[in-house]
Amino acid sequence: MSDFTISRRTLLSGSALLLASTAMPAIGWGQTPKKGGRLVLAADSEPRNLNPAIVASNGVFFISSKIVETLAEASFDGKDGLEPRLALSWEGAADGLSVTFKLRDGVKWHDGKPFTSADVAFSALQIWKPLQNLGRTVFKDLASVDTPDDLTAVFKFAKPTPFQLIRNALPALSSVVPKHIYEVGKIEDNPANNAPIGTGPFKFGEYKAGQYYKLTRNADYWGKDEPYLDEIIYQVLPDRTSAAAALEAEEIQLAAFSAVPLADLDRISKVPGLKVISKGYEGLTYQLVVEINHRRKELADLNVRQAIAHAIDKDFVVKTVFLGYAAIATGPVPKNDPQFYTADVPTYPFDVAKANDLLDEAGYIRADDGKRFALRLLPAPYFNETKQFGDYLRQALAAIGIDAEIVNNDSAAHIKAVYTDHTFDLAVGPPVFRGDPAISTTILVQSGIPDGVPFSNQGGYKNEALDALIAKASETLDTTARTGLYKEFQKQVAADLPLINVSEWSFISVARDTVGNIANNPRWAVSNWADTYLAG
Amino acid sequence: MSPLSRLLRRPEAVAGAIILALLFAMALFASLLFPGDPQAIAGPALLPPFQDWSLPLGTDRLGRDVLAEVFHGARTSLAVGLAAAAASLLIGAVVGTLAGFAGGLVDEVLMRTTDAFQTVPSFLLALAFVSIVGPSLGIVVAAIALGAWTGPARVARAEVLSIRERDYVAGARVIGMHPLAIAFREVLPNALPPVLALSSVIVAAAILTEAALSFLGLGDPNRVTWGGMIAEGRTVLRTAPFLSIVPGIALVLTVLGVYLAGEGVVETTAVRRSLS
Repeated sequence: MSDFTISRRTLLSGSALLLASTAMPAIGWGQTPKKGGRLVLAADSEPRNLNPAIVASNGVFFISSKIVETLAEASFDGKDGLEPRLALSWEGAADGLSVTFKLRDGVKWHDGKPFTSADVAFSALQIWKPLQNLGRTVFKDLASVDTPDDLTAVFKFAKPTPFQLIRNALPALSSVVPKHIYEVGKIEDNPANNAPIGTGPFKFGEYKAGQYYKLTRNADYWGKDEPYLDEIIYQVLPDRTSAAAALEAEEIQLAAFSAVPLADLDRISKVPGLKVISKGYEGLTYQLVVEINHRRKELADLNVRQAIAHAIDKDFVVKTVFLGYAAIATGPVPKNDPQFYTADVPTYPFDVAKANDLLDEAGYIRADDGKRFALRLLPAPYFNETKQFGDYLRQALAAIGIDAEIVNNDSAAHIKAVYTDHTFDLAVGPPVFRGDPAISTTILVQSGIPDGVPFSNQGGYKNEALDALIAKASETLDTTARTGLYKEFQKQVAADLPLINVSEWSFISVARDTVGNIANNPRWAVSNWADTYLAG
Repeated sequence: MSPLSRLLRRPEAVAGAIILALLFAMALFASLLFPGDPQAIAGPALLPPFQDWSLPLGTDRLGRDVLAEVFHGARTSLAVGLAAAAASLLIGAVVGTLAGFAGGLVDEVLMRTTDAFQTVPSFLLALAFVSIVGPSLGIVVAAIALGAWTGPARVARAEVLSIRERDYVAGARVIGMHPLAIAFREVLPNALPPVLALSSVIVAAAILTEAALSFLGLGDPNRVTWGGMIAEGRTVLRTAPFLSIVPGIALVLTVLGVYLAGEGVVETTAVRRSLS
């Protein structure tokens, strides 16, 4: 690090190289990756539990997906959008009662023990089904996992379970952890949750609170010649404005998950040596949603919900709040989903006059001060954009005579207020679409969910027809029929507006142009980075 | 020579008074000059200043008029500053008078309580209070007053200690006045001037504390505040620095104006006292 001498000559040749690199961007791309090097990147949160089998969330995956692998990963061109990882193939039975996985041979855990089907069976039955936030729904009917040999795992379901759902769930929900580590003691308290042991291309090195996470190269990784990097350092930079400065100062080489604020992207894209990449997050679409408390009598009225939908200028939201890095939403499935999306749903074009008419019709006449009624608006604090959209929504509602009072909370208080105490009228939330509506989307509108389950229908909405449709789709095995039911689901949600989908967005990465093989799968930031390399 | 003309002979006091007068004018005429909601979207987003004369200071990330926000923000800052100062002076004067006049156990209890409050940094106290109770204008005022009353309480007590030995207080005792009546009718009015002298510092500190709370997202989100404007501008600091600079300048000038005017008044009255 210290023996850097800068002379006029090296500086000149350096800048000449830099010039050449901008003039011929093709050079250095698609070439054989270089081995070695340390990738330093920005991390904006510090999850304590790093076990992705228990906490299936992007914040955990960002770090632990390099250590603990899943059965399959999302892929741009693979069959059904998947690419093998720990499983080589997967086959669903016609009756929906079993799925057979053939596992990869010669895989070793970081502690040297061999990876076998027993680990898969243990992870599925002891962790994914009972403990995992998302697995609890998807694997609820998983009865047993047969292991006829070390490289075969057969999932047996008590009730027919659509193979399409299991397939779509593999990239996010199927992190396999070692049985021999976790079978001792209580799984939630296992020390490996904070220092994970997996089969992935990188081993957990160390974690210094408030400073960094260090991952080191796994020399015994099953991928040929992989991984290329020697080390990955997650530099903890909780302040979003500092990531851009750190990139420019070459302290870090990568800022994923929009660590650089959207407003800075235009400027930073012009900095030589840095590139702005919006690919690599297709499988992690966030949806900007207005959550509605149907316990309020005004909001239980469909006319009022439609009026609110008409009052929101979605185009303005995309252009101003998201600076163009988003798309207008039509319903509960995002446009970029290749399997389920349909545009054939009722839409609500921006029309203030119509919104006002709808409210007059519903009987909420403006009082002398121009206001019809007042309500509480709770914007989720997780993203700048959700807060800004809250400010915008307040103005949009003012235009139709609804007086919204913004209530700001920190994350914990927001989750309690909305999902446990229900002390909200409208809330702004960013649910995630995870490749299949049954994973985390239908739960947003389905009734009968106990209080306190976050990111679910806590607005007291109950629609028997929609509940029946969701139930039917969850047990329909035929892929085409199932997809058709979810198209109908989108129509009904857009028509009855249990919540209002405003826009869909994903993240942006900013990287030094020496970082190679970026964004080469739809969940790149949370994939294993075995093929990521540093050129030059 | 009248106090006013003495005040006018101090240039810094005059400057302070002018700034303060302008500030009051801004706060008073905000709704006349910029009727309607200052947070309404008025134009294209991130318009730089001095481009469009209908929006002289430009617009923020959602297209809200920065000038209107600065004017309405003056209201919040002044309201919070004055209310918090009034509240803390009131609490401080009452506590100080009671402690000084009663003496003994009451004095001990009240002053040790004051010590306890003084040992906690007032900003942390405000921060904790607002994050527990929830942000709204009244709560912010209370939170600031909670940390600011100790200064006035100590000064008031010191004054009361010397005043209570004066002859007219002994006289009041002799004619059988109720001790509380003596404390608040005879002693407090005479102990008040040095306590009031603290007010400019307290107002200035209260405005800053309010801005800091809003900056951290603990201000009332339904009102425009300068601290909130700076916080919002911070995310686009590199591309639109004016969003932070404009309210920042307003804040600096306000605090400076309050302080200078306050000092001027204190010093002219001090001169008068020493002359008499």
